[in-house]
Parts: sequence; structure tokens; C-alpha cells
Amino acid sequence: MIIPLLILTPLVLLAALGAVWKARPVHAALLLALSLALVAVLYLTIGADFIGLVQFMVYVGAVAILIVFSLLITRPGDEAEEIQRRPRSMVTGLICTLPVLAVLLIALVKGNPESAPAVDAPPLSIAHLGELLFTTHAPAVLAVGVLLTAVMIGAALFARDTEKPKSNQPEK
Amino acid sequence: MNPLALLLTLSSLLFSLGLLAVLTRRNAILILVGIELMLNAANINFIAFWRYGPPDPELTGPMFVLFSIAIAAAEAAVGLAIILMVFRHTRSTDLNRLDSLHG
Repeated sequence: MIIPLLILTPLVLLAALGAVWKARPVHAALLLALSLALVAVLYLTIGADFIGLVQFMVYVGAVAILIVFSLLITRPGDEAEEIQRRPRSMVTGLICTLPVLAVLLIALVKGNPESAPAVDAPPLSIAHLGELLFTTHAPAVLAVGVLLTAVMIGAALFARDTEKPKSNQPEK
Repeated sequence: MNPLALLLTLSSLLFSLGLLAVLTRRNAILILVGIELMLNAANINFIAFWRYGPPDPELTGPMFVLFSIAIAAAEAAVGLAIILMVFRHTRSTDLNRLDSLHG
């Protein structure tokens, strides 16, 4: 069980590092997609099949593609400028990020997950998951439905061309 | 190293990378990339504790991740719509140029 994880973990981290480091925005977005896909594979490996597939469909299929399309629509920034001012922003970024990482790792070491008893949880049962979703968590499912509807309407309103509001009104 | 420790370490590093992207990128869309990385790190934690923690018939971890993914998708859609609107107004997604509220 640990061997596939040992292979996948560095790959996920490398792809994420590329997404953070690459100056060209499209490369960064595609590496993010790769990283998210590898996390989906990781979920499939440890037995959370349904979550892995949802991750693949929603993150890789929707979010990453949405980001790539936004990059295509907007004008790419100046790469040379980005690379030129990178040393300064990287130093500032690392000064802020390393303490966070240190706190997380200290908490991890203090929590001592090595001492956790090795339990072999049964694989995720989709029937059980669906039953819980539509009984215990039914209000939350409905709330997410309302949220997604609101998001769809909101995104459509935002994306509407506001500069020429009269162009799509019918002539009288 | 047992799987739980490995996954928690992965999640910590992924979260830090996302934070680094948010703090160092100038392009608003690439800041969203960093936010997605951080959300993923949190999801990995939930799945790791569900899978390697004490057995949980309520499936709290996967359930939380499902809702988290739905809300992350909503957040990305609205975020990108806002960025596209800002781009239409200013012809740029560089956050350094969006300083009209600067006192």
C-alpha cells in the first residue's frame, strides 16, 4: 500500500512546484491540472474511488479547463517582467510561507501519526455514500444545489457584456 | 513512515506551495491556481484521516470532501468571472495595475 503512495507523492509535489514556478501562465495551469489528476489517482490508490472520480471530473475536467480558457481569453502578462521581479517576490513569499510550513510540520511531528494503529478501513461504498447524502445530508445537498444555481446566474451576469448594454435589447 | 504520515506531509507541502503561489504571483488567474492547490491539500487531509483513522460509518471525511469540491468549483467559476470582468475594464489581469482604490 505504501509503495504506490511513495511514487505518487513526489510526482504530485513536482507538478505543484511546476505550477508555482513556471513563468508562462498556460504551463502553470496545465501543471496544476497534472497535479490535480495525480491527486485523483492517489485517491483511487487508497480506496476512495468515488472521491477520486469526482476529483477527476470536477477539478481536472472543469476547474483546470476553466482556468486554461480564462488564460486564453485574457492577455498574457509580460513573462520577462515576471522573471525579472521574481527574486524579490520569491524572498518575500518564502519569508511568509516557511513559518507556515514549519508550524504545520511541527504540529505533524508532535501529533505523531506514526503511532496510529494500522487500521484497514473498508473501501468507500458508493451505495452507502449515496444513502447518507440523501438522508442525513439532504439539506446540505439542497443548499449546494441552490449555491450552484446562484453561482451559474452570477457568473452569467458577470460575464455579460456591460459596455454595450443596449446592443441586446430588442428594437421598438 | 506509515501512509497517514506520508499523506499529511504531502498535504502540508502542497498547502505551502499553494500559499507561495498566492503570495508571489501577479496574475490574478494564477493566484486562483494557488488557491486550488491549498483546497486540495485540505481535501487530502480529510481523506487521509478517514482512510487511516478509526473506522467511521458516517463517512464524514469523504462527505466533507464532496461538498468541498462542489464549493471549490463554484468559487473558481465566480472568481474567474470576476477576473474576466476586471480584464474587460482594465485590459489586464496584473494585480499590480489594479490600484484604483489605492489611497
